[in-house]
Amino acid sequence: MKKAIIFLTGLGAAVWVCLACALFSAYLAFLGADRASAFMSAPFMRSAVAVLAAAICYSGARALTRRRFDSAALHLGCACVMAGWLWGQQAAKSATTGNPAKGSMALIDGDVSDALWDGPYLTNFVGRVPFTIRLEKFIIEHYAQSGVDRDAGRMAPIREYRSRVTVSEPGKAPYVANIRVNRPLRVRGYFVYQMSWGTTVDKFRQPAVYTVLQFIRDPGVPLVYAGFAILFTGVLLFTIRVFRSGREAGEGAA
Amino acid sequence: MTLKLTAQGGLIYLTALLFLATALAGRLGRRELRRWLWAAAFVAAAASVAWRGLHTGHPPMQNLFEFFLCMAAALWPLSQWSRWKNGIDTETRDALLGVVILFPAGFIFSEEVRRLPPALQSPLFIPHVASYVAGYVLMARAALIALPLLRRGGDAGEMRAADLAARQTAAAGFTLLTSGLLLGAVWGKVCWGNYWHFDPKETWSLATWLVYGGYFHYRLKHGMRSRRAAAALLWAGLLFVILTLTWINLSRIFAGLHNYA
Repeated sequence: MKKAIIFLTGLGAAVWVCLACALFSAYLAFLGADRASAFMSAPFMRSAVAVLAAAICYSGARALTRRRFDSAALHLGCACVMAGWLWGQQAAKSATTGNPAKGSMALIDGDVSDALWDGPYLTNFVGRVPFTIRLEKFIIEHYAQSGVDRDAGRMAPIREYRSRVTVSEPGKAPYVANIRVNRPLRVRGYFVYQMSWGTTVDKFRQPAVYTVLQFIRDPGVPLVYAGFAILFTGVLLFTIRVFRSGREAGEGAA
Repeated sequence: MTLKLTAQGGLIYLTALLFLATALAGRLGRRELRRWLWAAAFVAAAASVAWRGLHTGHPPMQNLFEFFLCMAAALWPLSQWSRWKNGIDTETRDALLGVVILFPAGFIFSEEVRRLPPALQSPLFIPHVASYVAGYVLMARAALIALPLLRRGGDAGEMRAADLAARQTAAAGFTLLTSGLLLGAVWGKVCWGNYWHFDPKETWSLATWLVYGGYFHYRLKHGMRSRRAAAALLWAGLLFVILTLTWINLSRIFAGLHNYA
């Protein structure tokens, strides 16, 4: 029993944990993104992540008591990222129709909505966000057509998708905002993304272009980003220490 | 396998020939000549990247072709830095690595110009990709430096120097792999809505990172006593890097968000 504890809290176990997690992560790639994230959000896997985070947190705390700050920051940063992920997962699980965590809305110019939908054709109602979005105009801009495009007889590739919207939050004057790829809009704890687009017909049976906006609320993100900062500080300190170890006896192990 | 009969192709083949000549001069013991050829190869590799950038009108980091050109250009500065830092002469090995890197760029990948899609128009584009360019080159060099450690026996002082150089190179590479991974996560949040999507390339990059994590823990535990296993872990890490760069990018099994290449 004592021997087992000594092994499990030692560096030898850490090597095996790293390599096992590496193989597991590679295995997730074979599942593909959708199945892998569904698999990881199962209760059993979330518990496994929690146990791993606790173990890494223990290593970090122990390194801290030994004044090994690089190792402490590295491990505590990792644990912090995992805790933030678990928090986000929990928020997604406990989301209600009054407080949805993730969903999308498809709009054509002039539409007003606060309802979020899910599923491949956005047919499952998810809930309502505490503000409304009115799509003023959805704009697709192309690059200037080049000689190559002309020779191939095709349109120039798309340079930008932009949804110009009016946001109405309760207790605030409505305001106009642009939502573009890489430029999400931040409203009341939600990030609103330019996600997709397509063609449809409007109520007069005229062809129309719709935009799909995705709404995501993830309260774990600040914790995850804090973890990133701590983790990266730890990596930098570690690298500095490895470089210093060369000037001394040549052995970095301690 | 196609020959690139363009100015870009010419620059790539010139660089590859200079890399080969560098390695040859190294084999023949012509150190002064090798030094000049090695620097000339860098100039050609940098010209190749610059030409690509001017030709496409965006930072040449969009697809695998451009990624490999950048890796070839990163070799010389990183090799010089390592020589200055560790005093280990790796120029001949690095030049051969350059030939290996340029082979797919010269003969396999398409040089078709694509304009940047909206997803890649971000200030994080250059730092994220550049971290991985330099990180992967450093990890390849760490494995090459560790090559003598795989042999049984050998001079203890030499072994110690090689071990330290490999460990320092891997630590620098690990910093860059971490920054690439974290910047990619932040960019993923801004662009795709989430910092982690379990996209195949993300999970493989994490796996690569973890293998190097395993290496550092192992090295810390065993020191020089089992240097061969530690060196083997560096090669395992390089295997993951190579798989990430080739199989994950090119195979349809791993289709995902990273399909720009």
